[in-house]
Amino acid sequence: MLSRRRFLSGATGAWLVLGPAGLAAQEGTFLTVEEAARQLFPDAAAGAPRTLAATPALQQRIRDLLGRPPSFWEESYRVVTVTRADAVAGYVVVVEEIGKHRPITFAVGIRSDGKLQDMAVLAYREAYGGEIKDKRFLGQYREKGLGDVLLPYRDIRNISGATLSVQATGRAARKAIAVLRAAGDLP
Amino acid sequence: MAARLRSVLLAVFFTMLVSFGHAAPVDAASPEELDAKLKALQEQVDALKKEIERSRQAPAVVAPPAPAPATPVGAPPAAQPSPPPTPATAEQPATQPATKAPWVTDFKLGGYGSVRFESSDVDKVGDTFTFRRFVLSGDATIANRIRGVVELEFEHLTELEAEKSAPSEGGLRGFSNSIESSNGSEISLEQAWVEFALAEWLRFRAGMLLVPLGRFNIAHDDNRWDLPRRSLVDRGVPVLPSTAAWSEVGMGFAGDIDGGAWGKFGYQVYVMNGVTLDANLETIARASGELETEVEIHPQRGTANIDVKKDKAGALRVFWSPSLGNEIGTSVYYGRYTPDFLPSETVWSLAADGKLTLGPFEIEGQYVYTRWNGIKHVAQGFANAVAEQELAAGTSPLDVVVEFELAGLADSKQGYWLDLRYRFFPEFLRGTVFGRPFENPQFVLTTRWEQVWMHNLVKEIVFTGSTVEDIMREDRFVNRATLGFTYRPVSLVAFQLAYERTWTDHGKSLASVTNFIPARRSEDTQNSFLFGVAFGF
Repeated sequence: MLSRRRFLSGATGAWLVLGPAGLAAQEGTFLTVEEAARQLFPDAAAGAPRTLAATPALQQRIRDLLGRPPSFWEESYRVVTVTRADAVAGYVVVVEEIGKHRPITFAVGIRSDGKLQDMAVLAYREAYGGEIKDKRFLGQYREKGLGDVLLPYRDIRNISGATLSVQATGRAARKAIAVLRAAGDLP
Repeated sequence: MAARLRSVLLAVFFTMLVSFGHAAPVDAASPEELDAKLKALQEQVDALKKEIERSRQAPAVVAPPAPAPATPVGAPPAAQPSPPPTPATAEQPATQPATKAPWVTDFKLGGYGSVRFESSDVDKVGDTFTFRRFVLSGDATIANRIRGVVELEFEHLTELEAEKSAPSEGGLRGFSNSIESSNGSEISLEQAWVEFALAEWLRFRAGMLLVPLGRFNIAHDDNRWDLPRRSLVDRGVPVLPSTAAWSEVGMGFAGDIDGGAWGKFGYQVYVMNGVTLDANLETIARASGELETEVEIHPQRGTANIDVKKDKAGALRVFWSPSLGNEIGTSVYYGRYTPDFLPSETVWSLAADGKLTLGPFEIEGQYVYTRWNGIKHVAQGFANAVAEQELAAGTSPLDVVVEFELAGLADSKQGYWLDLRYRFFPEFLRGTVFGRPFENPQFVLTTRWEQVWMHNLVKEIVFTGSTVEDIMREDRFVNRATLGFTYRPVSLVAFQLAYERTWTDHGKSLASVTNFIPARRSEDTQNSFLFGVAFGF
């Protein structure tokens, strides 16, 4: 027979383990833009997010830079400028790309030299392939730039069963750099 | 008087509005109260009008409306759906209730299929096209942390027709039911489960679940593999207790654990109805007075209805992925396989699997060992059951002969498959029809080596009366070597070319140890050229 004390201890332990911190990790939405900016540039200060409208002219410039259109055109891009010692250290751009059926929302950290600082998945909506949010996977994109193809089996190690999401990650990374270049934030 | 009439009319109008607008009844209000409410509402409307006017006069601060989404060009088919409404960015769902995420019940339909041409030197196969299967799948996020997945398989199916009629003969009316179907066809619910994620490492699942024994069964989609035939261990000479894709009704947990520098760990553990022996009985009355009963027994996945056995089965798979692309896993299955009218006997399986990625090279494999306990007891139990059935039916011939055909049952089976793959795509082909306009086309060179051993494979059990007269057993093996070349314009579509050689003990038929080669009694080897197409969407 389970004593009340043992039951309460167990329930408390379960709550501590399964509590809000544990739940947050599983939700489809993992981070806010501000949290992502702090995570991607931990030693820099993040400004307020600004919205960059995806006008036809901007889309055309992005398309030209990418060499092919992305799988998804957002209505606008949220951009956070991060500074270090009053100098621009980089940017965080929120972009979306289709995985298999649904858009995946990424925060892409880009240094002022146009290279990728890091990436984070803000929202993942597919039934399979959530492993792309793992740090060990996203870490592959560091130091990559617009000149890299960012494709599985070429310069990115694939996740079996999540190939489409892996390809979406590469497209998102390249698109984020292209957005900044098209908008004039990066040379 | 007029004011009172106006108030009454307003009250009636307002009451009607409320009645149509809400299903729940509301308390009646006096005309004066309604007057006051209307005035208050009018003030609010005026205030809102002023607010809108002010905002019109102020300079615009929001982004202009976005242009219509462009049609993607050159992306793979799966990445080309018409762009859905712009999904919310991260902070939007967070401010909403947990059950009001923007992607709630966003059911998406997908699937996969495969077709194959085969040219074999086994007479009964010859040259043939085979529509292997078509699987419709769907998934939906029902609410945050709750999702559902379903897969419905149509295997070798071209038609299924049911007829019901009431024919009339000589003034008497009868009834007739008939079902027509293509040969070897099957409609199967491969998966249908709901998942409630308590945490990333603790996700509760319930429904029709893929049994986590080995790595193939849980990732069996044809378009994910580079050869146009499934492995022997999982399908052709199944060492698994049932053929892949093997699913069972049950419940359990799955989870992933981030081990930091140690990599990633994961598990699936389920309790299920479990695989069960199924039997087809055919009774023949000979002119000699002998009654012959043929019993074909074969294990198959458990029922989705009330279980025919008291004891349940369990399966556990754990894996460790030390780095991206590398994984090692082990799994176990244990459960009773006999229905309640037979002696309680168990089947257990042990599997080890893994994958190693070295640049463009991949090595992937799986080993499975399965033991069926108490086959003799089970056969005796069947004979007793048949004898009891005959007594109950009032048939008591002088001689009762029961012949058992145990489809592939052996005391133990073990086997493995080992794939070696090399992925490449020559730069000079990127501008050709094979490369353009695809984002990441691939060629894959694959070799697969497979072996299966069966210990004490039951050939035949002969009974006289209800007593075991003889059990004929033998040890057998099946080997297969395959060389394949696959072209993937996109990751979801594979054009597969392969040569395979399958052989068993010299002078013995492949038909008695495989479920896909209708070889003659002396045909112990098959050479086949295969061309397959597998697609997903």
